[in-house]
Amino acid sequence: MDRAAPLSGNPRRLRVATAIGALLVLLGTYLVSATDRADAAPGDFGTNVIRVAEFPADCTYSHRLPDDPIIFPGLPGASHMHSFFGATVTNANTTLPDLVRSPTSCNPAVDVSSYWVPTLYRDNVAVEPAIATFYYLGEGVRADVVANTQPFPQGLRLVAGNAKATGPNDSIARWSCLHAGQVPPSKDFVNCPSGTMLESYLDFPQCWNGRDLDSADHKSHLAYPVNQACPSTHPVHVPKLRQVLRYPVNGDPSRFRLASGPGYTMHGDFFNAWPVAEMARRVQDCIRPVIKCGHDGRPI
Amino acid sequence: MRQRTASTLLVAVLLVAGCGAGPRDDGSTPTPPATPPAATVAPPSTGTANSFNPTDVAWLQLTVAMAERLLPVLDLVPARTTDPAWRRTAAQVAATQRADLDRAHRLLAEAGAPTTNPHEGHDMPGMVTAEQLTALRSASGQPFHRLLAGHLRAHLEQSVRIAAAEQQNGVQPATISLASTVARSGTADLTRLDGLDRARGPQPAAGHPDQTAGEAQAA
Repeated sequence: MDRAAPLSGNPRRLRVATAIGALLVLLGTYLVSATDRADAAPGDFGTNVIRVAEFPADCTYSHRLPDDPIIFPGLPGASHMHSFFGATVTNANTTLPDLVRSPTSCNPAVDVSSYWVPTLYRDNVAVEPAIATFYYLGEGVRADVVANTQPFPQGLRLVAGNAKATGPNDSIARWSCLHAGQVPPSKDFVNCPSGTMLESYLDFPQCWNGRDLDSADHKSHLAYPVNQACPSTHPVHVPKLRQVLRYPVNGDPSRFRLASGPGYTMHGDFFNAWPVAEMARRVQDCIRPVIKCGHDGRPI
Repeated sequence: MRQRTASTLLVAVLLVAGCGAGPRDDGSTPTPPATPPAATVAPPSTGTANSFNPTDVAWLQLTVAMAERLLPVLDLVPARTTDPAWRRTAAQVAATQRADLDRAHRLLAEAGAPTTNPHEGHDMPGMVTAEQLTALRSASGQPFHRLLAGHLRAHLEQSVRIAAAEQQNGVQPATISLASTVARSGTADLTRLDGLDRARGPQPAAGHPDQTAGEAQAA
């Protein structure tokens, strides 16, 4: 009764069997050629790869809420205004399962992580980035440390920057102008020439304690490298997340403010929801071997 | 069907080819461990009678931060106005805030959370900013009443809003109980403020410093 239909005369099964056979042949051919290539040129990267350890996610602006599921979980409205990128469902109550099921504004679409920053205002009108790129990098540490990079654990929550900065000295914010390199970068807003865009860079810490997905201050489970290596308290090297936001504004910096205050209060929140295998593959194929990858996690 | 099988096959071949295609430098690169150590979540997401979840701790910290911001404003009142109704209201709200602050401090200690205010110096919704406090210090009489009413309303509305969220999403009984006290007293104080407003004439709306019209209550 519940047995499968007889095998004979089932054209679909035949097609599948043929397909599997073809796949095995192709796979065999590939393995041989790959082995040949490795044998022929050890250490030679064969194709013209770019020797930069990097894979990106470009995530357009998704939505705005006065919520923060890391700092104020379960407390909608408790936060200053945030602009969200990536997962489109994020609010004060968001947990990892919510993100895993969420649509995303990211390219690649497998990145359902949530990224958020204080909203930028010009003359008290919200301005959202025209371009928001989250680079995952292997840099700032020795080559052997890069070669040992581990993926971010899924569910990791992390805050970088200082929302409470009272001046440039206690800030790691960096403001500059896209296509106007002559304007010196600053920890506060800069005056960008017309025709250029105000941009913000923020680097997240890249040394993990190997244990916690979060911490009381949402920062101290990760640390920045010391002397090109990870400190013994935070021995696990993970990709350096670099947040780059390009805002379609320029001119008088006194017209700008962040929801958290002056430019030096720029900060970023990251809630990692990359599928484990997708993140692991990119770390394996792009970061450790120092190869610049595209959105698909393949060498450019 | 045939087309679909064929394209599935193509995708499979590309995936298989692509997975191994990245050039490797296996000879000189140390092999990293296959998987990172298992991670744990720092704060528990649910709690028993005496344990706190992240919402409880975040709400207590925010309650402390907000009360510490409002008290210096209320303490200005006797020096800035002689109006007995305003003086009475300010004294009563200040007494409530001090009692809430004391309970929140004790609960944070019980939770093992840092006793320092993690939001020190940070302007958040409902909070009076340093500039606004300076303006209050140089105002008196009716202008002072108007400013004070706006700030008190913004604070109380935000307090009631987040206390309701704690009642819904917190787990620690004493913290939820404090939230219900804050929501009740805040609502009563807002009603009292309405009465003062009606007696003194129309008041300007109190906006949150980081919210523009139309999106303020998006959550």
